[in-house]
Amino acid sequence: MTVIDCRQLTKYYGDVRGIDSLSLSVEAGESFGFLGPNGAGKTTTIRTLLGLQSPTDGTATLLGADIRNAAALRDARRRVGYLAADPGLDEDATGERLVRLYGRLRGDARSDELIDRFDVPVDRRVGEYSRGNRQKLAIVLAFMHEPDLVVMDEPTSGLDPLMQERFYEFLDAERERGVTLFVSSHVLSEVRRVCERIGIIRNGRFVTVESVADLLDRAGKRVHLRVAGEVDPADFAFDGVHDLSVGETTTFTLTGRYDALVDALDGYRIEELEVEEAPLEEVFVRFYDDAGTDPAEVSA
Amino acid sequence: MSADAEAPAERVPESGALFAYESRRRLRGSLALGVGMSLLGLLMVAFFPSVQASGADLEAYVESLPPAFAEAFGIEAFTTLGGFLAAELYAFGWVILLGLYVAYRAGGSVAGDVERGRMDLLLSTPVSRRRVVVESFASLLVPVAVVNAVAFLAVYAGTLAIDGSIPLLDLLAVHLLSVPYLLACGGIGLLLSVALRRRGLAERAALGAVFALFLVETVASSAGYDAVAALSPTAYYDPTAVLVHGEYAVGDAVLLSVATLLLVAASAAVFDRVDVR
Repeated sequence: MTVIDCRQLTKYYGDVRGIDSLSLSVEAGESFGFLGPNGAGKTTTIRTLLGLQSPTDGTATLLGADIRNAAALRDARRRVGYLAADPGLDEDATGERLVRLYGRLRGDARSDELIDRFDVPVDRRVGEYSRGNRQKLAIVLAFMHEPDLVVMDEPTSGLDPLMQERFYEFLDAERERGVTLFVSSHVLSEVRRVCERIGIIRNGRFVTVESVADLLDRAGKRVHLRVAGEVDPADFAFDGVHDLSVGETTTFTLTGRYDALVDALDGYRIEELEVEEAPLEEVFVRFYDDAGTDPAEVSA
Repeated sequence: MSADAEAPAERVPESGALFAYESRRRLRGSLALGVGMSLLGLLMVAFFPSVQASGADLEAYVESLPPAFAEAFGIEAFTTLGGFLAAELYAFGWVILLGLYVAYRAGGSVAGDVERGRMDLLLSTPVSRRRVVVESFASLLVPVAVVNAVAFLAVYAGTLAIDGSIPLLDLLAVHLLSVPYLLACGGIGLLLSVALRRRGLAERAALGAVFALFLVETVASSAGYDAVAALSPTAYYDPTAVLVHGEYAVGDAVLLSVATLLLVAASAAVFDRVDVR
């Protein structure tokens, strides 16, 4: 079943483009990463999908409900959890009161378990919460009704690394249960950790939509090589070698198969050879370089 | 929480959940305001004996006031306790102060939630926009009811303490009839809140609108433009008529209630159509 299906989804704010002709489908049980710098249109897409604003053109379905049909979408939202970037939790309320309110609005199947798991101080007022505790409470609110789809906007902002890992493990378990995840983020490592497929968005349009594995393939491997004697650059001039730098340690990025590399190494006395996954950032930056956008906005 | 709060998916969203939550949030401030208004009321009641003692001079002063001014502030009969309270406490404290307060709070309601992102979270649940508007508005009943109840008791106790004579039913009526008036002021604030969706802006607009309507009514009615004066909610709540003449304008209260329902319905309809941002 298709959980999210965007067809030419377009949203303009007056003359300002939010998103333009986004087409995308996310299947049940899939975890999709929505990647791009701030202002690229990620939040616009999410808010349009949830029915908070109507599309200028095109449409989408959420769990089968057309987002332009308020009643149908409302019904579909029973099965949706939303983890907002800034959830605007009431400062004067205790965590417990908010859990109770949202329990009455969207159901509560396991808030106790989640509060324990994420260690949320629910008896204190939100005004006294740290950034991390607010985010943890928002996580409880987004997942407590056992939704089939959870839409997340920068889900780990404010969480310390330990809690981030606990959250990722929780997401793994949710995926096991068949929950569909839609994760918007500007943090590559996060999307990489959580998602199997990603869409990279820039200026309201998709630059690419593909599986993380394909993207990593394209990113290639980072090779570090130390040999006895000198490296002849001509030996490494074959297809698939990028960014060759010859020195005491020779480094380059390798895409494609290993055979050519093995052939090239024939005849050298190898003192050290390290082949590791190239950072996804490099591919990502390539997309943005091509597009002329400042890659500094994207961080690992 | 899970154990006792577990609700099957069909039962959510529970109606009244947001109303109950918002009402509780408003309770503390409402009690504080109720105490404040009670103190103002007791102060006025305590003043009355000395006002009454200066009797004849004050009557002359009231006679000499410009009629429009006297009418605007309900000054008719300073030398009876009812007339004095109508002018000094209710015409000012209820018609103006509380009217502005309720409009201001209503102005901040939906707009405030939109502005700080809380509305996104609320509307990500299976709750309808109409319900959010209606239940947010309904929670304004808390300050309206609490302030009136507390102040009514305080003023009544005060009048007993000074042996003043004011019919209990009149005092009750002046508070009860203020309820539809104050809710109408809230309705104006609510409509501005959904239309503008910026908290500060909507709050100021609500204050401005209610105060402007008060002024329009004052000027128009003294100039004889009754049709214009009739546009203001202040035309339908007259503490002086209640406390001096014992006249309860129930028809006006009904009219205010109908206007309030229309304002809330219009607000819900507007909020249904706009982008939440």
